[in-house]
Amino acid sequence: MADADIDRLAARRPLSPHLTIFKPILTMMMSIAHRITGAGLYVGMAFLTLFLLGAAIGGGAFSAVSWIASGFIGNLIILLIVWAIFHHLLGGVRHALWDRGLYMDPRGRELLAQGTLVGGILLTVLVLIFKTLAS
Amino acid sequence: MTVTTKFKSGRTEPGEAYVSDHSGSPHAHFMRLTSYALVPLGALSAWWILGLAGKTLDGVRAEIARPIPAIVLLVFGVIGMVHARRGMDDIIEDYVHDDALKAQALVANLWASRAIAALWVVAILLLAAPK
Repeated sequence: MADADIDRLAARRPLSPHLTIFKPILTMMMSIAHRITGAGLYVGMAFLTLFLLGAAIGGGAFSAVSWIASGFIGNLIILLIVWAIFHHLLGGVRHALWDRGLYMDPRGRELLAQGTLVGGILLTVLVLIFKTLAS
Repeated sequence: MTVTTKFKSGRTEPGEAYVSDHSGSPHAHFMRLTSYALVPLGALSAWWILGLAGKTLDGVRAEIARPIPAIVLLVFGVIGMVHARRGMDDIIEDYVHDDALKAQALVANLWASRAIAALWVVAILLLAAPK
């Protein structure tokens, strides 16, 4: 069969619409959030590296990076990085527990999914409060 | 990851069958080992990274140009980017299906992660160096 025929048949073949038809459940959402926060931290580390390089060079370079970093967007990015670290960290702890065969039952994994979501936000808020008090 | 072989299955043309290259278990083990180190490093780094928000240059130096924050952030950056590179490899292998584009994306990922880690180390060392 010619390639064009195969392509035409492949295009007509229905794909599983997985995400659009599955009922959104928390464990699935936390799995997706784990990947998104992981990819986000990659980009976040690139941003932080630029900021630290600016600070290391000093002078005009620091003015340039701090113009962004000290504004609302910069503060939001830093807060998101901190949240992503905690969310991804707790997601990793969840995987470490599952590796040991713990919390794999329906109630256990639901508990861990809730713990990841609430814990990530809670730790971010706690660090924000303590950091504000300390400064 | 999968690699193509000359193996001919009932369903594919020669060279189109995919078999495992047996890198799955070492990959999973690598991600777990690095993640164990990243739990304390990440939590501590988050504390100091949050302290960078809205700081002056002297404030940034006061925050991280001390031995323990500098060392923790240094190690966090290196182990973090090694872990992030392998994680991004997974994402690329999952979502990029074009073979040529996938190979390019994997190489770009390797060097981007190395560049970020190297510049991160240089920046922290410069900040922490005695003035």
